[in-house]
Amino acid sequence: MSSREPRASGYFRSSYAQGLRLLETRTQWTALVLFLTALGIFPFTATSFQLDLACQVFLAAIGAIALMLLTGYAGQVSLGHAGLIAAGAFTAGILFKEFGAKFWITIPAAAVVGALIGLIFGLPSLRLRGLYLAVSTLALHFIVVYLGGEYETKRGFSTGILIDAPRVGDFIIRDRKIWYFVLLSFAAAALLISLNLLRSRTGRAWAAIRSHETIAEALGIGVPAHKLLAFVISSSMTAVAGALFGYYRGFVSVEAFSLFLSIQYVAMIIIGGMGSLLGAILGAVFVTLLPYVIEYAVAQLPNARSYAGMLAAFNYAAFGVVMILFLIFEPQGLVGIWRRVQNYFLLWPFKQKPLGGGRK
Amino acid sequence: MQLAINIAVLTAIYALIACGYVLIYRVSRVLNLAHGELMMLSAYLLITTASLFSKTPFIALGAAIFLSLCVGVLVYLFLMRRMTGEMVLAAVLTTVALGVLLRGLVVLIWSAQQQNPAQALGWVNHSLPVFGGRISAAGAALIATTALVYVGLFLFLRFSRYGIRMRAAGQNPLLAAQRGISLHVIYALAWGLSTLTGALAGILISLDSGLDSTMVLIGLKAFPAALVGGLDSLVGALLGSLIIAAAEVLMIYYVDALLSDVVPFLVLILMLVFRPWGLFGTREELDRV
Amino acid sequence: MNPLLRVEKLEVVYGRAITSIQGISLEAHKGEIVALLGTNGAGKSTTLRAISGFLGLDDARVTEGAIHFKDNSLANRPPYLITKLGIVLVPERDKVFPNLSVVENLSAPVATAGANRKRLEEMAFTFFPKLAELRGRTAGLLSGGERQMLALASALVCGPELLLVDELSLGLAPVVVEDLAQRLVEIRDKLGITILLVEQNATVALSIADRGYVLENGRVVLDGDAARLKSHGDIQEFYLGGAGERRSYRDVKQYRRSRRWYG
Repeated sequence: MSSREPRASGYFRSSYAQGLRLLETRTQWTALVLFLTALGIFPFTATSFQLDLACQVFLAAIGAIALMLLTGYAGQVSLGHAGLIAAGAFTAGILFKEFGAKFWITIPAAAVVGALIGLIFGLPSLRLRGLYLAVSTLALHFIVVYLGGEYETKRGFSTGILIDAPRVGDFIIRDRKIWYFVLLSFAAAALLISLNLLRSRTGRAWAAIRSHETIAEALGIGVPAHKLLAFVISSSMTAVAGALFGYYRGFVSVEAFSLFLSIQYVAMIIIGGMGSLLGAILGAVFVTLLPYVIEYAVAQLPNARSYAGMLAAFNYAAFGVVMILFLIFEPQGLVGIWRRVQNYFLLWPFKQKPLGGGRK
Repeated sequence: MQLAINIAVLTAIYALIACGYVLIYRVSRVLNLAHGELMMLSAYLLITTASLFSKTPFIALGAAIFLSLCVGVLVYLFLMRRMTGEMVLAAVLTTVALGVLLRGLVVLIWSAQQQNPAQALGWVNHSLPVFGGRISAAGAALIATTALVYVGLFLFLRFSRYGIRMRAAGQNPLLAAQRGISLHVIYALAWGLSTLTGALAGILISLDSGLDSTMVLIGLKAFPAALVGGLDSLVGALLGSLIIAAAEVLMIYYVDALLSDVVPFLVLILMLVFRPWGLFGTREELDRV
Repeated sequence: MNPLLRVEKLEVVYGRAITSIQGISLEAHKGEIVALLGTNGAGKSTTLRAISGFLGLDDARVTEGAIHFKDNSLANRPPYLITKLGIVLVPERDKVFPNLSVVENLSAPVATAGANRKRLEEMAFTFFPKLAELRGRTAGLLSGGERQMLALASALVCGPELLLVDELSLGLAPVVVEDLAQRLVEIRDKLGITILLVEQNATVALSIADRGYVLENGRVVLDGDAARLKSHGDIQEFYLGGAGERRSYRDVKQYRRSRRWYG
């Protein structure tokens, strides 16, 4: 390719191997190291409340990454994500309550159950597309939650299942700091697995299916298998997140897995930006922290006391507004904003990208 | 006999709600997942108008219904109009967001306590004997209203010029615009009608059994009814409602009351697996999405 | 006399990147049948869409030039308002509402202000008597020719002054096309409606048109009376399939040299 036309400064790939690398430039390496150091130092300077927030963000991030794989990359819409989280949490809870199973059994078990349910969730996707698929996942959500509720009432745990803190040998994971690192490593693992999947044949097959199913099939991609795979992997990850959620809270109950939770996860990937793992993480941070921001904002209002009971309502309303604003004004989500800023600096002092060049 | 009456009332409820889903889907291919919330909003509007016109219940009723119609049109004008031309899914998610917003607003304005509009209007919900069973006055009103609404809608869509235009716009929006039909007017009309029928449902249900945020769930359960019948068919919505209502009532009676919230969705999944376009739906719908 | 429709130096750009037509100018006078000829990708449909207001849907915009209809500028008007002004399009495909019956198809359109709707509907049936027999039939079950008739009829119900017909002959048997073409002439003669006919089939178009424009690569390369176009050597060779023997590319080059540029 001749490069006589003026173009953005920056890094340009010159071989396929370079395109496959996760980290391409020294700047990216430095940024990663700095970021990891910051993550490592954070728990030792943060308050307990901030640690709790961070842990919630990690949990949400795992779920959001999983949903992003399914919806953002493979293009299969799911409105039943909360059902999968519930499935993971209940697997851990039931195994613990009925068999006294250990941490290192329940988590893989949750993954397996998640994969199985994913297979079931995925079956309708072989026949349905778009809206209809979303509706069928919605239906499955209700069924999973019903089964969980049924278990709770039949066994007499009507207020929820209590789970002990997980222990490895004599070591009990109870301290927030330790939880922070456990959840961080799970989130990092989810991210790495996804990154690797996406730069492999599977990821490209998903992208092809998302763009056009019939053409993907004509290109020799096993559409049903890859669709099911997307469901299985995504659900399995989500179920693990659910199990971790159960352990972290020390408590599993159907009330936590309402339809609103599913909507929140969908909101994460929309607000973050479809088709981007960074978007999933940004969205998870945003959606997790939003209620706390609102709580703070409501507390600043005059006669804040009288509003205290309506906090949930404020949350709902603000959440709806934010989602609508993103859908209408920034369909690319936070990542879109991030990219625009990035491009602005990359191209500075020019304003627009020349045709057919530059970085993605 | 009581069982049959219960089924009839529940069918009427679901059918009245389901036609709201059908109207909007048929015209604009958008699933309005905020229908339950809009319905609830109408019922709450009745609470307010009832306190304003406490002497004249019928004026209060009319005002609430009229306000609901306006809400529907406004929702289209200020929100959904911006989503025309976007991906259908984005539009659906917008309705989801709208639903969340409404749920919050309703509690902020009217508080989360259970309300009783029948009391506010000074009406008593008598229980009337029929065919060896009993039916509440509001229940009977529900059945009558649903019948009226369906006959009205059928005549409107079949014989009135705007009804025909509405069907035309649903089939081929491009051609409709070329033939001088203003799509925005048609879409706004569909949204208005849909919230109007939703309002009737919401108000009558709240007159029957009080009002709180669980009404959203009823709205959501009517959605399988619309889909089982085929999302673009009114007859389908009626039949779908009958199937769902019958399944639900019988399950509660013979098996387990906890099942009531799940049965519609179980039926829905069965339907989706075997005949995704519904009993009366048009088959091509699947590829259009 | 001012022309009914005047397109001046029109330029349309798709997605802010691809220029589809450039500097197209054309006119249609009252009571004329004007043919717009050209191969695929010549810019016929884009021109038609620009006139009927359907550019916005494909993320295209009129970047230069103007469209005047009876002293109204049509740039950036929504399609339904353009129809109300009296320009009606018979599209290339999806030209009827498939699930509506024939009668319903005819009653759905909105007529222009002041038009006598009853009369228009009767008129549609007198021009296409076959439709009267098919009144109750669902439009989706009509044959291709019947469908085209219904499309023309329902366009007439709008009470147009200018009828835009996109690919009258597409997918139809020659006999049917000839019949439909005669109906168009009849419509023009009886109602005085101006017709802009976009066609690939130059033989049909030039047989009924008064004047014609030939588009190529987004530009008008030839125009004039139908008779003049029919006798033009390049038209004979490239659109009417005349001239017989094959020529080499060198001659094609000569053709390119000989064509005129407008705008």
